[in-house]
Amino acid sequence: MADPYLRVEGLVKRFGPFTALGGVDLEVFPGEVHCLLGDNGAGKSTLIKTLAGVHEPTEGKIYIEGKSVEFRSPRDASDAGIGTVYQDLAINQLLSVTRNFFMGRELKGPLGTLRMDEMNKIAHDEMLKIGIDFSDPTQAVGTMSGGQRQTLAIARAIYFGAKVLILDEPTSALGQKQQMGVLKTIKKVRARGDIAIIFITHNEIHSRLVGDRFTFLALGQTIGAGTNAEIGDEEMRRLMSGGAEMGDLEQELAAI
Amino acid sequence: MADTNEAGRLKQETAVEKLLRRPEIGSFVVMLVIIVALAIASDGKSFNALGLKNNIAIIAQYGIIATGAAVLMIAGEFDLSIGSMIGFAGMAMSMMLKWGLPFGMGDATPITAFIVTLAMTLALGWLIGTVVVRSGLSSFIVTLAFLFFLRGVTEVSFRLINKSTQISGLPDYKEESWFANLLGGDVFGWFYDLWFMLGGNLNRRGEQWVEGFDARFLWWLVIAGVAYFVLSRTQIGNWIYATGDNKEAARANGVPVNRVKIGLFMFTAFCATMFAACQVFDTNTSDAAKGNLMELFAIAIAVVGGTLMTGGFGSVIGVVFGAITVGLVANAVFFIPAIDGAWFRVFLGGILLAAVFANERIRKRITGGI
Repeated sequence: MADPYLRVEGLVKRFGPFTALGGVDLEVFPGEVHCLLGDNGAGKSTLIKTLAGVHEPTEGKIYIEGKSVEFRSPRDASDAGIGTVYQDLAINQLLSVTRNFFMGRELKGPLGTLRMDEMNKIAHDEMLKIGIDFSDPTQAVGTMSGGQRQTLAIARAIYFGAKVLILDEPTSALGQKQQMGVLKTIKKVRARGDIAIIFITHNEIHSRLVGDRFTFLALGQTIGAGTNAEIGDEEMRRLMSGGAEMGDLEQELAAI
Repeated sequence: MADTNEAGRLKQETAVEKLLRRPEIGSFVVMLVIIVALAIASDGKSFNALGLKNNIAIIAQYGIIATGAAVLMIAGEFDLSIGSMIGFAGMAMSMMLKWGLPFGMGDATPITAFIVTLAMTLALGWLIGTVVVRSGLSSFIVTLAFLFFLRGVTEVSFRLINKSTQISGLPDYKEESWFANLLGGDVFGWFYDLWFMLGGNLNRRGEQWVEGFDARFLWWLVIAGVAYFVLSRTQIGNWIYATGDNKEAARANGVPVNRVKIGLFMFTAFCATMFAACQVFDTNTSDAAKGNLMELFAIAIAVVGGTLMTGGFGSVIGVVFGAITVGLVANAVFFIPAIDGAWFRVFLGGILLAAVFANERIRKRITGGI
C-alpha cells in the first residue's frame, strides 16, 4: 500500500465550549476517492475547513506526505496542494470561463497585460481533460450549467497544483443528469492516479459509485471507516444514519 | 468526451449578431440619434467650429468623472463624493496659487499647487476606500457623508483664509507655465488648422476662428484610454471585474479585493482632481459650489453607458458614448435657444430609466436569467 498523501490524526476543533470535532482520523491516498459521509452537523464542514486552512485545529496533527504541517491561512493549505471546491464554487457569473479559471492567478506579459490567447487555450484544454469540451472559453460562466461550473472549479484547482481535491457536496443542488456528469468528472480525476479526492456527500448511491474508502462522521466523531469492499450496504446505511441501528429507528418511528 | 455541453447548444453567431449583442450598442445608437437630431435642430450650429469645441469641453468634463465612477461601479461601489471632491480640489489649488503653499512652504507654482492638491485628494480617496472596506458599510452612505463633509470643508476653508467663497482674477498661468497650459490650454490645434486650410473654421472677418480644443479633451481621452486598456487587457482589470461580480469568490481565489476597492476610490478622487485642475487653469477662477451634483451626473452617465448598478459588468467605450450623449443634450440649449434648458433633466431622467432596464436585460441574459 502506498503512503497516504494527507493524514489527519486526532483532530480536535473547539469553538468556545462547543466541540465541533472530537478527535477525527483520516487518511487519503493518491488516485483514490475518499468519501466523507455524515448527517448535517456531523462535523464534515468543520473538518474540510480545517484542512483548507480556514480554521486552525485546537488539537491534533495534519501530515502531508508524512511531514507535519500547520496551516495559518487558506493560502498555506493551497500551497501545500490542498484544493477545495466549495459548494458556491467561488465563481463569478458575469466573467468569462477563462477569466474565472485564472482569477487571481492570471498569466501576465510585460506591463501586466494578460496573455489572453494562451489563457483561453489552457482553460479549454484543462477542462477537456476532465470531460467537457467548452468550445468558447470567452463565454460568460452564467451560460454554463451547474455541472459545468463544477467542472470548471475542479479543473482550476487541479491546474493550480491541487494534490488533494476536496469536493464539498458537489452533487447536491444538481439535476440527475448533471450529477452523473460530476461523478464522471470525479472518476476521470481519479484515473490520473496522482490526485487524492475527498468527496463529501449525503448520497449513499453516489459514494458507492465512485468511492474507494469511506469515513463516517457523527457528532464530531469518526463512527466508522473502511474500504468499499469492507463496508456492506446494511452497515453503510447504519453509519449514514449516524450510527443508530436501523431496527431502533424503525421501532422509534413505529411508536409515533 | 464532450458530454453535458451546454455551450454547444448556444447558437453560433455571425459577426453582425455579435456586434448587436455588445453592451455598448444601446448607448451607441442613442448617441447617433442625438447627434443627428441635434445637428438638424440647431441648423448645424452645434457642430460648427466653435460648437464642436464647446460641446467637446462639456463632454470631456462629464467623461473624465464618469470614467472614474464607472470603473468603481464595476468593482461594486459608488462614490457620491466626486462633486464635492471637485469643489475641494479646485479650492485647494486656487487658494495655494493665491495665498501660497500650506505650512509656509512658500509661493506655489501651478505644478506644486497641483501636486499638493493631488496628494490631499488621493489621501482622501484612500481614507474613503479604507472606511468602506474596513467598516463593511455601504459606500453609498460613507461617500454621502464625505459629500457633505468635503463641501463643508471647502466653504469653511474659503471663508477662513480667503474671506470669500470665490477666487477670481488669478493671473493667467497658461501664458508662462507649460504645466498650466497642459491642463487649461488648447490641444489638437492641428485639427482646427487643417479645417481652416480646407476652407472652413472662418470667423466673420475671414480669419481662422477656433485655435484648438480645451485641454480636458486630451485628458479625457487619456483617462478613458488607460481605463479601457486596464479593464480589458490587464490583471488589475480582471481583479476589478471579479471584485464587483462576487467579492467572496474573488477573495477565495486570492484577489486582493480591499486593495482593488481602495485603489479605485483613489482613482475617482484623481478624476475629480483632473476635472478641477482643468477648470482652474482654464478659467483662472474657482468657486466653493464647483462640481455640485457632478457625482450624480457621473453615475447617470456610467449607467447610460451600460455599467451595471450591481457591479461586475460595464464598458469604458459605452461610458464614452454615454458622456457624448449627455454632454450634447446638456449643451443643446445654447444652440437651440427656443427650448427650455430644463428639458435636459427630463431627457436625462428618461434615458437613465431606459438604460437601467436595458442593463438589467443584459445582466439576465449573461447570468442565464437569474
